[in-house]
Amino acid sequence: MRVILKTRPREKPRIPIEAEEIIPQNFLRKNDMKVFEGNKERTLEDLFFVTIEGPAVSPDQVEVVLTGNTGMIKRVGEYMNAGRIIIEGDIGMHCGNFMSAGEIIIRGNADAWLGREMRGGRILCEGNASHYCAAGYRGEKRGMRGGIMEVKGNAGDFTAEYLSGGDVIIHGNCGDLPGVEMRGGTLVIGGECARPCGNMTGGTCMVFGKAQRVLPTFRSNGSQDMDYAGKRYRMNLFRGDVANRGKGTLMIRA
Amino acid sequence: MKIEDVVCPFCGCLCDDLVVQVEGNRVVNVENGCTLANEKFMGDHRLETPIRRSGKKWERISYDEAIAETAGILLDADRPLLYGWSGTYGEAQTIGVHLAEVLGAVIDNTSTVCHGPSIMAIQEVGHPGCTLGQIKNRADVVIYWAANPIEAHPRHMSRYTTFADGFFVKNAFRERKVIVVDVRETDSSQIADEFVKVNPGGDYAILSALRAIVRGKRDIIPPNVEGVSREQLFRVAEICMAAKFGAIFFGVGLTMASGKYKNIRNAIELTEELNRHTKFTISPMRGHWNVYGSNEVFTWITGYPYAVDFARGIAFYNPGETTSVDILRRGECDACLVVASDPGAHFPRACAEHLARIPTIQIDPHVNATTHLSQIQIPVAVTGIDAEGTAYRMDGVPLRTRKLFQGSHPDDLEVLEKIYAIVREAKG
Ligand code: SF4
Repeated sequence: MRVILKTRPREKPRIPIEAEEIIPQNFLRKNDMKVFEGNKERTLEDLFFVTIEGPAVSPDQVEVVLTGNTGMIKRVGEYMNAGRIIIEGDIGMHCGNFMSAGEIIIRGNADAWLGREMRGGRILCEGNASHYCAAGYRGEKRGMRGGIMEVKGNAGDFTAEYLSGGDVIIHGNCGDLPGVEMRGGTLVIGGECARPCGNMTGGTCMVFGKAQRVLPTFRSNGSQDMDYAGKRYRMNLFRGDVANRGKGTLMIRA
Repeated sequence: MKIEDVVCPFCGCLCDDLVVQVEGNRVVNVENGCTLANEKFMGDHRLETPIRRSGKKWERISYDEAIAETAGILLDADRPLLYGWSGTYGEAQTIGVHLAEVLGAVIDNTSTVCHGPSIMAIQEVGHPGCTLGQIKNRADVVIYWAANPIEAHPRHMSRYTTFADGFFVKNAFRERKVIVVDVRETDSSQIADEFVKVNPGGDYAILSALRAIVRGKRDIIPPNVEGVSREQLFRVAEICMAAKFGAIFFGVGLTMASGKYKNIRNAIELTEELNRHTKFTISPMRGHWNVYGSNEVFTWITGYPYAVDFARGIAFYNPGETTSVDILRRGECDACLVVASDPGAHFPRACAEHLARIPTIQIDPHVNATTHLSQIQIPVAVTGIDAEGTAYRMDGVPLRTRKLFQGSHPDDLEVLEKIYAIVREAKG
């Protein structure tokens, strides 16, 4: 089944839409899906032109395609556990929150908290991701726990905060404090970043670009060669964060 | 008439020992207050009546008209924002939260541009804090980190730290060591026993280094960390570990520097580390006199201290998403009620521009920068001068502010209750 959701023109296009019901499994049985526009509850049809093509008997046979002005739509793919969502443009905050399986492909940019606390599945963002990509909710002690997050562009500050499992691959630059409080999993940064892995206790972070303002509390631990994007790089190894009795591994291109 | 034990409604110190002389409905003299307090009590130029923008001019309108129009604007909005609250008292803040809930609005207070990051850090790792009285009576080491109390909280040092003799610190000036950490020299740094000058944005690294030193990992520290020599870091760590009772106060220089709440978290974790050796506490230097109260009121009603979004009928909190600066910068809200604050003066330009684009209503005694962005302004009594109510000091101690004379304006609570009644009736 292919579900195409095209946004309708809105009188106040900057008001965010919260649409956690947009997940593949809901299109199998639900016909009264609700979304919120600001503080007003609307039906899916109020805000989208909905086209459904073909049948499906299980959620993994459902593909949802979002087109139009999608940059203010939040929570698409929240708790998704199968199927595929393709977003033709930008997407709002919290896309793929807590998802456990399936795939989300974003052709444009993603706003903050992309894949917040995701447990499994795969998110591919072809543009840039904003702050807190693959991070946790406020006060939560574990961020992303499993799955794959791949961003072809740049990511913002606090990327992979509290990363506990899974792989986060940012091909571009990251902002400040990527991998802060990280405790497991793997974070790969293809470009530059600042102050990676503050307070980390576990996991592995590799920075293949320049790392600015590396914290003084990482202990040098030799070097080794690593492959990334078809090239071999010499990497300096560090253990830390010593300030936090950490046993994480930070690798920075020599 | 002379009134004693008056609480100063200006900064988070909430000094409660002022003596104020009143003639009619005017304050003519203030004793014990700092210059900020004198200006607050005596330089009080009020807006007389509610005003509404009419083309390029302002027209005077009645309170009933202003209140009815405000309620109508908020009821029509799909994403109203209720911002401010730190300059009013707890009872009025309570009605504000109820109003937000009925409207499905976002309610936020000025923590969003001051110590919101401190609260986020406390939510992550807790708060080893205490009252200012404990610090006055016990602390022999005081650290001001990215704070300049001499200018921002002028009586903080004389009432609670450097110059305040305490029960166990009989001669404060000689017995207390003061350390100031900042990116530049300030009036406060000049009276410090140790001034640590950090590169801008370098606080996080310094805090991490101090944590490692206190843990006995001196060997890892490079000769210079963000502009501070290794020797000075060792010396500061030694002073802290040798203290009988230490207190860290931090200001917005730390909360708003890059890293934001992670700086505060690191400072709290340093405090925890020091508590393995001695007794140490940490406290934010809260700015607005009742900003702590707004966090208390919001939390006891909604579970969250600021940036609470009721759009879905339940409280949702996510600084960065539901904070007013972010909502305004993204152009999300379609109406705004500003109470007891001046975002026009403090918010980034893009936010002020959005406030000017949408219907903005201000409830405030004075004409200020936000007036120029507003459609309607409703003047009210000044809490602590001609209205009384509960406020929370920077250390979380509630104090009752006093009404010094009967003024001619209604107070925040009266105006908000009327707006709430109209909204409540319309919502059924
Ligand atoms: S220090 Fe603050 S509370 Fe005390 S008198 Fe001055 S302005 Fe008022």
